Amino acid sequence: MNIDQTKPLEYGTHKNEMNILGFWIFLGAEIMLFATLFTSYFIYENRIGSGPSGAEIFEITPVLIETIVLLTSSFTIGLAINAMRLNRTKATLWFLAITLVLGATFLSVEIYEFIHYYHIGVTLQTSGFTGILLTTLGTHGAHVTFGLFWGIAIFLQIKKRGLTLETANKSFIYSLYWHFLDVMWIFIFSFIYLKGMM
Amino acid sequence: MKELFPIKQVNGFIFSLLLTVIALSVYFMDMSFKVGMTILLITAFIQAIVQFVLFMHAGESEDKRTIFTTLYYSALIALVTIFGSLLTMVWDMM
Repeated sequence: MNIDQTKPLEYGTHKNEMNILGFWIFLGAEIMLFATLFTSYFIYENRIGSGPSGAEIFEITPVLIETIVLLTSSFTIGLAINAMRLNRTKATLWFLAITLVLGATFLSVEIYEFIHYYHIGVTLQTSGFTGILLTTLGTHGAHVTFGLFWGIAIFLQIKKRGLTLETANKSFIYSLYWHFLDVMWIFIFSFIYLKGMM
Repeated sequence: MKELFPIKQVNGFIFSLLLTVIALSVYFMDMSFKVGMTILLITAFIQAIVQFVLFMHAGESEDKRTIFTTLYYSALIALVTIFGSLLTMVWDMM
């Protein structure tokens, strides 16, 4: 195995580089997945039937909490990667832990939001609008949930094995995923919530 | 401690918070739909670029060209899908 010492650990071998490139291509596919969800959302946005409209059900406080929490978690995972490059295992784990706590906070608020929607009669079957709204938010939420478990696995692996070629590579790829979820949330925040409440 | 908070990333974070505040102005201030949408489009896309380039280090590896080609391609497909559908299914009905 050729280890290139001039590069950060996560790019250390050819295989590592290819893993990262492969993940970027996967993210490209994810962009298109969310694009189709946004397309359907914009088409069904005004098809509210006898159900409520976005302006009636959206609330600024939970949305704002979700946005700030996810934005901060995106910052802390960036700091985790920075610490990883400085070979500071402990700091990496701390930043990763903060990221996971923030991710869990985001998810709790989103689950609260979904329960609230259910109680006011907003379900998948209510109207075209609520159906696509919950599908889009749910797809993002499912991604965050998956990311949370993935992050816990990475945390345990770094704790057990330290920062190696493999764990550094996995952590970097995980950070790409987490940043990507934040980017998608920005679009949900802007073009679903803020647009709906404007 | 200081090296754990690189200035580039701290600035990026502050900048994205600032963009969020600007985006929020469409909710807290009275403005026309067109002005509001313009603000949202600009802030959302700048945020995305900040994340991709600053936090995700899109431009630092040797595969930079392939990564950006993938990103441009998927962004193009995304925009064509969204605006193409809007053009044929929403806007012509108004």
